[in-house]
Amino acid sequence: MTAFTLYNYVLSGNCYKIRLMAGILDVKYDTVAVDFYPGFEHRQNHMLALNPAGTLPVMTIGEQVLTDTQAMLAWIALNHDPSGTWYPAADPMLGPLVQQWLAFSGRLTNSAGLAGLHSMLNWPIDGEAARRAAIKDLRELELHLTDRVFEGKTWLVGDHPTIADIACFPYVALSPDAGLDHDGYPAIRNWLYAVRSLPGFVTMPGIHHLHELREGADG
Amino acid sequence: MTTRPVGLTRDLPAGRVMHAQADGKDMVVWRATDGTIAAWDNRCPHRGMALSHGFVRGNRLACLYHGWHYDRSGRCGLIPAHPDLEPPATIHATQYGVVETGGVIWVSADEAPAPDDSDLAPLRSFIVEASEDALRDAQEATSADGAPPAPEASDRVSVLCNPIEPGRTQVTVLTAPGLPLPRLRTLSRWCEAMRRQAEAKETA
Repeated sequence: MTAFTLYNYVLSGNCYKIRLMAGILDVKYDTVAVDFYPGFEHRQNHMLALNPAGTLPVMTIGEQVLTDTQAMLAWIALNHDPSGTWYPAADPMLGPLVQQWLAFSGRLTNSAGLAGLHSMLNWPIDGEAARRAAIKDLRELELHLTDRVFEGKTWLVGDHPTIADIACFPYVALSPDAGLDHDGYPAIRNWLYAVRSLPGFVTMPGIHHLHELREGADG
Repeated sequence: MTTRPVGLTRDLPAGRVMHAQADGKDMVVWRATDGTIAAWDNRCPHRGMALSHGFVRGNRLACLYHGWHYDRSGRCGLIPAHPDLEPPATIHATQYGVVETGGVIWVSADEAPAPDDSDLAPLRSFIVEASEDALRDAQEATSADGAPPAPEASDRVSVLCNPIEPGRTQVTVLTAPGLPLPRLRTLSRWCEAMRRQAEAKETA
């Protein structure tokens, strides 16, 4: 018995958020591959019938459909995280802070994510505008994570990783593919490393395992 | 050539790798598990892959491409495809000078002297898309602001520059040691103000 069905495109950072969260919380699910590119299947009638917004991923839990990535992360955490730390929704300060960084992750999709689509798939948008927006967002994230370093903290919010870290991770990790290197972002680099070190971490094309955490050829 | 600040000690923990640029050189800076640091030409002697994509295993840096391992002297110690082969001593990464003082990592491509030790504490390292001159003008202008987030004399702010290419400068900001958390946050925002000003001037 699987927990949900994910309409999935393997190169999508938003689809990867769901696979990553499910991997970390050891949640089993089914996938339906959607030909986002070059087929644009997400804009075909059978997909628009499921999600009128024409975006990916789409998650179905029985008859219930979720079409927003961050809502899907919330669903997984609320239903499959016995510790309650991944989405501290009821905490009067941590809950709103998680919401704030979930919203920020949506901005990343439209800046670094779009810059990546422009670089990798020749998306017909103003790539330079997307890169400028992405730099602004990366700098905002770096400022916040530097504050966290001053406090001796690792994660975006509180003392534990949350769905906000998962939501912000993919498009930041992938941004070098769009020509946005991480040289000037030491706090981001160390936060990315912390996410990649999480037990149950799964990969996507462009985001590989930390080889140093695996057993080497020389033991 | 001079000795250049390329990052903060706190930002490169044991077992980690970073890319750095100084005086037109592309470098990999990495820290072994035992805490020792090394700076090399960012090029694997095998196939030219950027070693900054590599990973640390024990006290060796491994290239991500074919996994050749290099010890801290730069000498190749393991070729995974030929595990029983003793790699020839001629397979060697090119080493640069690296020292850490006051929480700052300094590199030099030659034997330039290490900077004097200072009692200041590192605040942040970041990159400004502007020349060092524009950054210095912005430092002066935003410091003279007299209102938050501008620094005060007691902050003892010091700004180090590493020009990495025309119109691109790595900046390291130091402050008096032991500043309280709210002050660190404020000065971090002053860094942002200084960068905005420098970049606005650069594109004007």
